[in-house]
Amino acid sequence: MDYLNQSLETIHQALKDKKVTVTELVKEAINKAKKLQETCNAFVTIDEDNALNQAKELDNKEVTDNLLFGIPMAIKDNYSTKDVLSTGSSNILNNYVPIFESQATSLLKDANAISIGKTVLDELAMGGSGLTGHTGVVKNPLDTNRLIGGSSAGSCAAVVAGVIPFALGSDTGDSVRKPASLGGIVGFKPTWGRISRYGLYPFAPSLDTVAFFTRNVKDSAYIFDVLNGYDNKDMTCFNLEKEIVYDSINGTIKGKKIAVLKEIYETISNPEIKKEFDEFFENVKKQGVQVDLISIDKKLYDTIYSTYMILSCSEATSNNANLDGINFGNYVEANGVDASVIATRSKGFSELIKRRFVIGSYILSKENQEKLFIKAKKLRRLIVEDVNRILDSYDAIVLPASGNVAPLFKQGNDVDRLSDEYLLLENHMAIGNFGGFPSITIPCIKYQGLPIGINITGKAFKDKDVLNLAYGLESMIGGKK
Amino acid sequence: MNFETIIGIEIHLQLKTKTKMFSPALNTSKAAPNTHVHPIDMGFPGTLPRVNKKAVELALIACKALHCSIDDCLHFDRKNYFYADLPKGYQITQDKRPIGRNGYVTIEVDSKEKNIEIERIHMEEDTAKQLHYTTFTLLDYNRCGIPLIEIVTKPNIRSGKEAAAYVEQLRNILLYLDVSDCKMEEGSLRCDVNVSIRPYGQVEFGTKVEIKNLNSISNVEKAIDYEVKRQKALLLRGEAVEMETRRFDEASKTTVLMRKKTSAVDYKYFTEDNIMPIQLDKNWVNQVISNLPELPHEKETRYQKEYGLSSYDAKVLTSNKPMMQYFEKLVTYYNNYKIMTNWLIVEVLGYLNKNNQTFENMKMEPKELAIMVKYIDEGKISSKQAKDVFEHLMSSSKTVDEIIKELNIVQISDDTTLLAIINEVLTEFSSSIDDYFAGKDRAFGFMIGQIMKKTKGQANPAKVNQLLKQELEKLKK
Repeated sequence: MDYLNQSLETIHQALKDKKVTVTELVKEAINKAKKLQETCNAFVTIDEDNALNQAKELDNKEVTDNLLFGIPMAIKDNYSTKDVLSTGSSNILNNYVPIFESQATSLLKDANAISIGKTVLDELAMGGSGLTGHTGVVKNPLDTNRLIGGSSAGSCAAVVAGVIPFALGSDTGDSVRKPASLGGIVGFKPTWGRISRYGLYPFAPSLDTVAFFTRNVKDSAYIFDVLNGYDNKDMTCFNLEKEIVYDSINGTIKGKKIAVLKEIYETISNPEIKKEFDEFFENVKKQGVQVDLISIDKKLYDTIYSTYMILSCSEATSNNANLDGINFGNYVEANGVDASVIATRSKGFSELIKRRFVIGSYILSKENQEKLFIKAKKLRRLIVEDVNRILDSYDAIVLPASGNVAPLFKQGNDVDRLSDEYLLLENHMAIGNFGGFPSITIPCIKYQGLPIGINITGKAFKDKDVLNLAYGLESMIGGKK
Repeated sequence: MNFETIIGIEIHLQLKTKTKMFSPALNTSKAAPNTHVHPIDMGFPGTLPRVNKKAVELALIACKALHCSIDDCLHFDRKNYFYADLPKGYQITQDKRPIGRNGYVTIEVDSKEKNIEIERIHMEEDTAKQLHYTTFTLLDYNRCGIPLIEIVTKPNIRSGKEAAAYVEQLRNILLYLDVSDCKMEEGSLRCDVNVSIRPYGQVEFGTKVEIKNLNSISNVEKAIDYEVKRQKALLLRGEAVEMETRRFDEASKTTVLMRKKTSAVDYKYFTEDNIMPIQLDKNWVNQVISNLPELPHEKETRYQKEYGLSSYDAKVLTSNKPMMQYFEKLVTYYNNYKIMTNWLIVEVLGYLNKNNQTFENMKMEPKELAIMVKYIDEGKISSKQAKDVFEHLMSSSKTVDEIIKELNIVQISDDTTLLAIINEVLTEFSSSIDDYFAGKDRAFGFMIGQIMKKTKGQANPAKVNQLLKQELEKLKK
């Protein structure tokens, strides 16, 4: 029996009942990872030896009640993992082996989850396509002619393909929630500051969030329980008591109120897809949930993409200034220190990344800060205030995570200009990062056999409520099918 | 043409904390290179800064001592630039909201007081130390991340002398408060000076030149004096002063060009998002700044008022922290402040200098010096005997009483004993009495000498003087 595409609880029970050993699980995961590597290129590193060694150790121990005991997982390659290559999918770090472990991965490892490898991302997490990692394009396991989306492309593909039951990603704009939609799995971005970012390569710290993929909502709740909590190594990590939500989410959604943002929802261009979603919302109403199509200030929300680009590129240009090859990374020797740093960075980053840095630098320059950077910060605040106003009257905002199924690879395409990329419909999930809101994507409809997810976003710190609502909707969707 | 000198000073001061500004590595200058380095100091991907509370405390103390208004909400910014000694590619600093603003330091030059205005004090982190060799450069990351405050004056310093006085006063204050080691030669206090000149009456500032590498206070003055001369000569020759960075060359006592400043660098300052604004608790801030030890100049005033010392004595006492601390113990044992101060300033300092010793390793306890002065006042020992006792106190760990006993120092002050001896002498040398009355001054001295001889020098001279006069008066009648 294949356990790896089952829920955590099912695999755990099988381990407890000695129907399967940790070693068997890990071996199976590694075999699947190798196969997936040939078709979809999800991994930068498959860490076979370490994983098997840990598996053997665990097999000598009693299985505890912790659901992650002996569970294979994959980690996005922008987490610092001690003694394991951590490239950020960039040539500039293609030889970088960190000397310390990130907080998120060390919490998972402490819970006895076993990393089978590091996954491909869009270079340094900048991008949403899965096309720009230094080791090549990541393909969608559901249809290898299509992309899986990014930036957490490899982690998503690995869960979609059933290599592992969960994988760590990171979410700065929608880097977990968008691929989850295109791959038909669950992607959860908890409240910003609820999980320590220590050891996560920074893209834009005010937006970056530790996030993850699972097969179902309950599993996401479990991973959230393991990861959330105060960490004194991250000053943006809230000093709040650790939350345990797994046992208390029951999927009761009757009486809940959700808002569907009209000006975003109605731009779904494909009538058949629109019809599927309309049906979905009708079903939701039948569950006793109040669903209101509410109007927003389109002009304000239309700035989401540019606001996101301005803020994230600016932060990124500074956050990646440490990649100069001097202390670590792929140093390219030239005549003198300055020339070497220039050579290192010129060779180390792809064109797309350099473009973002140039944009960021331009925005941060003295003469542009006020009219671009500060303005974008103000827009961010206005958008967040508006969303919070809506969330004062609703339990969540619910919207399609994308307007269409996973796009096909294009011939000789300009990877940074994907179709529809600039549409609000394809960018609205950045709202979750602007406000630090808990936001989850779950599989919802299918079109021509391919999935599209629905996204549920709630007020900051209402992770449990969002998970509960998602769990209820997931049960409803599952029951319908 | 007469020129006015305009000087502004920027001081980088390493704070005396246990650990670094944003990392748990130790803050130490006395360790083998690259032995106190944390991944945070190396700028490894994914590391995050955490603010050192002690560094904030010390910055607050500096703000208070330099009369700055305090911003009790901490904001940090990034200063972005590429340099080999800056692993993150940016320095975390405070740009828009420095912790302190608008302070001053009072200096005294040529007996005139002047306030040097401070524009801002902000917190930041030090960079790695570069060690340049002919064909390569080594980096020491021990220094990387050491907490700094930068203290920036307004351009209201007008001479090298004032500049030196400012740096000296600032150093005294911050050394007193244990904010920093303030060692210019070791780089824990680094001083950059901006110098420009303009013809008197001109409103606009002249082109400023920055001087770096000033590793002593006297060099601050020398460098400025030279630089002013250089700029004057340029202007008088009809040449322009160029915007540049120069360094002071100790050997030639001149300033030497390091680099021309072309266009100003844009550091693209923006908020450090990894540290959210920190609202400091008002009570905590008050607690930190309200229990500050008294500053040197405050002590100086108090010593004059409370102990009746001259302004000179008060200044000497407070110019030396260990001596000041010694003095403050001394006054708890006895109250003849003036005399005790004289002993400290004249005898103790003299002895220490002569024997190459310091207050820190001095043997004489404050209590013993106090007792010795008290004994002099009480007539138990003479001033002359005291000098012997003092020498012993300084060279051994014995008490005054032990030394007096050992040296067999006794002073006879008892009236009955002394009168008996005086009358013996008067009987023996009756001719001297006649001489005395005949107006021969030497006769009195002769008789005193005889009394001293009979008491082996142990008679209390003041007492003998008084009693002999009294006895002679009796004979006159």
